[in-house]
Amino acid sequence: MVVGEVAVETDVVVIGGGPGGYAAAIRLGQLGKSVVLIEKEVLGGVCLNRGCIPSKALIHTAGEYHKLRSLNKLGIQLPIEKATFHMPSWQTWKSSVVAQLNKGVDYLCQANGVTVVKGTATFLSSDRIGVETGGDFETYKFKQAIIATGSRPFIPSFLKTDGEYMLDSTDMLALDQVPETLAIIGGGYIGMELGMAFAKLGSQVTVIEAAERILLQTAAHLSQEVLKQAKQLGMTVKVATKVEKTELADGRVSLACTSEKNGSEIITAHKTLVTIGRVPNTGELGLAQAGVEMDERGYIPVTSTGRTNKAHIYAIGDVTPGPALAHRATKQGIVAAEVIAGLPSSVDSPFVPYVIFTEPQIAGVGMTREEAELQGYKVKVAAFPYRANGRALAIDEGEGFAEVIVDQESHLLLGMHVVGADASNLIGEGVLALELAARVEDVALTMHPHPTLSEVWLEAAEAVLGHAIHIVNQSKGAVSK
Amino acid sequence: MVEFKLPDVGEGMHEGEIVKVLVHTGESVQQDQPLLEVQTDKVNAELSAPVTGIIREIFIAEGETVEVGTTLLVIDAGTEAKKEETKLPEKVVSPDKTVHFAPARADHRRSLATPYVRQLAREMKLDIELITGTGAAGRVTEEDLRQFANRLQKSAPAKFPTSAIGNEHPLEASAVAVETEAVVQPKTGIAPRVATSSQGEIERLPLKGIRKKIAEHMVKSVTIIPHVTSVDELEMDQLRALREKVKPHADKRNIKLTFLPFFIKALVIALKEFPMLNASIDDSTNEILLKRFYHIGIATDTSEGLIVPVIKDADHKSIFQLAEEIEQLARLAREGKLTMEHITGGTFTISNVGPIGGLQATPIINHPEVAIISLHKMEKRWVVREDEGVIRWMMNLSLSFDHRLIDGVTAVRFTNRIKELLEDPNLLFAEMV
Ligand SMILES: Cc1cc2nc3c(=O)[nH]c(=O)nc-3n(C[C@H](O)[C@H](O)[C@H](O)COP(=O)(O)OP(=O)(O)OC[C@H]3O[C@@H](n4cnc5c(N)ncnc54)[C@H](O)[C@@H]3O)c2cc1C
Repeated sequence: MVVGEVAVETDVVVIGGGPGGYAAAIRLGQLGKSVVLIEKEVLGGVCLNRGCIPSKALIHTAGEYHKLRSLNKLGIQLPIEKATFHMPSWQTWKSSVVAQLNKGVDYLCQANGVTVVKGTATFLSSDRIGVETGGDFETYKFKQAIIATGSRPFIPSFLKTDGEYMLDSTDMLALDQVPETLAIIGGGYIGMELGMAFAKLGSQVTVIEAAERILLQTAAHLSQEVLKQAKQLGMTVKVATKVEKTELADGRVSLACTSEKNGSEIITAHKTLVTIGRVPNTGELGLAQAGVEMDERGYIPVTSTGRTNKAHIYAIGDVTPGPALAHRATKQGIVAAEVIAGLPSSVDSPFVPYVIFTEPQIAGVGMTREEAELQGYKVKVAAFPYRANGRALAIDEGEGFAEVIVDQESHLLLGMHVVGADASNLIGEGVLALELAARVEDVALTMHPHPTLSEVWLEAAEAVLGHAIHIVNQSKGAVSK
Repeated sequence: MVEFKLPDVGEGMHEGEIVKVLVHTGESVQQDQPLLEVQTDKVNAELSAPVTGIIREIFIAEGETVEVGTTLLVIDAGTEAKKEETKLPEKVVSPDKTVHFAPARADHRRSLATPYVRQLAREMKLDIELITGTGAAGRVTEEDLRQFANRLQKSAPAKFPTSAIGNEHPLEASAVAVETEAVVQPKTGIAPRVATSSQGEIERLPLKGIRKKIAEHMVKSVTIIPHVTSVDELEMDQLRALREKVKPHADKRNIKLTFLPFFIKALVIALKEFPMLNASIDDSTNEILLKRFYHIGIATDTSEGLIVPVIKDADHKSIFQLAEEIEQLARLAREGKLTMEHITGGTFTISNVGPIGGLQATPIINHPEVAIISLHKMEKRWVVREDEGVIRWMMNLSLSFDHRLIDGVTAVRFTNRIKELLEDPNLLFAEMV
């Protein structure tokens, strides 16, 4: 490898073309900076190519397929037994969706004057970066840099993936066939989302989770709804169970598990998905050469403006401590770009919404009841069930509830959570309400259109105040769930 | 949380070296307590804390050179101020690890405000956490920001330079903002709105056109370039004699021969020997540009002010050619017919105030050039030659130079060389190409 003598000069280099990196690069372009965006694979990162978008495409498909069974009840008579799912066709369709989005990102980069460089980037010093572009090595000299290299699945050595039997989420989304039996190690949101999708497509799914319950990122009573549904889909969910060993025999993986409740047991499956966490892509970046510090887990700590310990180097997205979510990466990217351009931007909001595309969906923003109480708030909580919402029944989606957490003293909204149909879209209203520092009255007094699912917020807010129309209020004033 | 940024402590400075960090992470500091020492061009400045609080993070190390606007450290101004603003239940300890990009789902006890008001606070350089909200349920409103800003402004009048009058964001000079950021930037073209009736009659004229451009250019030049001027005197007798001899030939060709062409010739010879004086600095890349061409600007007096037409490639032109061109350019200047082409691209400037008078001056360098020479009045003076007082034709010259690039010694050697060439003009011919 010969290090190029002549460095191309640019204002900013952005390393990684995921939702954090490309948003930052486009914003920098808008603000008149010269930008080089370095991506070793395809623009769009994990989110677009093997995360959010492909997984949601699969979940949507599985949902539609599964619905066929309940259409009979609505008077639509189909010979269900004749419906089949052809995964290769799905792959073609999914690829076309991803390709269209890829093209869009590429076009937007171009339109905003971003130079996209294909290659693997490594810091050479605090103002130079080298890029290996398949045989060639180019050097870039920058005034500022943004690290947006994202994360990859965490795979411990005893659960080594092979792409054939032991799979990570990327392998799983690239399958051409629905596995007859599927074991999933990890009951987090990726495991539950994909597990439920494959269950709907016909897999016999077993989820193995080491913690006491699934979906630790959300409150227990919300995840309970998902667990109920999982059982109806015929899934087996084993909590407080650890996988000790794996073995491959006759085209199946055997997982030796132990739990206090069941002792040792063996679970066999045609495919095993390992999804127990993610690790930041910081190891190979040459951060030491740039003088950028990481924490003991490899994450890069940053300030509210995205600065690392080196004032001119920023980090955003999954490489920074905090929830690994695409919308957080994007927001951080835009803020870092604006700070570089001299604008007074900052990520100073604690309101990072989360969305889980399980059956039913869960979404939330702000504190759960437990978190609020832990912080010393006296809270009022009320929930409004989907089954009391006209629209929910009219679309045959009666499962779930919306919950509102309020500070008893000031009536300020502290948290809004929803589990049920279309929760992912409903939470938009929650995020806005919390950001605007709304009181529960603000939501209760806002006219919500009828008949829509959004009315669940209106009624939950009214329930907190003791006067919801479509449920019997437990008591006037402080109402608990 | 207050981000403490490197302020512009000297007018127009771009960066500074952190000489000393006087605090460490976790330390509590009082408002106005020194935090850091920073060295800029020539000054050593002590930067002090804009607020009382705890140092959360320090981003720079001693010896590091950082740009103006870079965040140096973060101060948690919270604890004290917060107490009076929000009613915190006893058991609450907010384990805010300050500034992580997305505080997961914690620390909701920030002051209440909409995203727009938060952005506005950042633009006004106010720490919103210090402001008591008067809106519903204690929300901080836009009006609260303005009130807070006004109060701060009143409490810190000394830090508030008059140039900021009419500033939309008066808080730029507040105690919460970085106080030293409010360096007075002379803004030419803005007439001070000061009542003057008690002091007599004042006529107000608009600062506009060429005068305004000159004003802006001068400000830029002195802001960026550390000027030093050195003065010397020349004996002109031999040059006068030479000119007398040549003059009839010039007259025959209708050329008005002044001393200036001889100066330009001597200057170009000296510039070739001292290339640093025919250079400029590219501030954006920190590079010195040595120019191998000699375009000499002639500062010319016009009714509108000083204009500097440029004689291109002076080293390729004879004394007669130079004389002709000077005359031509001076005429165009007086008639206001100079084009951009005529006045751009100079590498060195001569200011010739000699015909009018004056003994010495500090000519302002024509940025991005790095030096300028001013020629003064030629007059008979008593001087000492070989221990005897004699009368000679003498003339002073003042050389201002950019001290970033040129040292005093170099500058004096340069003028010595010009002196040598002009005091014995035969040498001019020896050097001629
Ligand atoms: C199955 C799955 C489902 C998900 N679903 C959701 C969801 O529904 N909602 C949500 O918000 N989030 C979801 N996520 C998470 C989301 O994908 C990530 O949070 C997001 O992609 C992070 O963005 P990023 O910009 O930080 O990095 P990434 O998207 O990881 O992008 C980093 C990019 O950097 C490139 N790169 C790395 N190192 C180098 C180098 N040295 N040189 C050049 N390029 C380099 C990589 O190739 C990659 O393209 C999901 C993730 C997975 C795996």
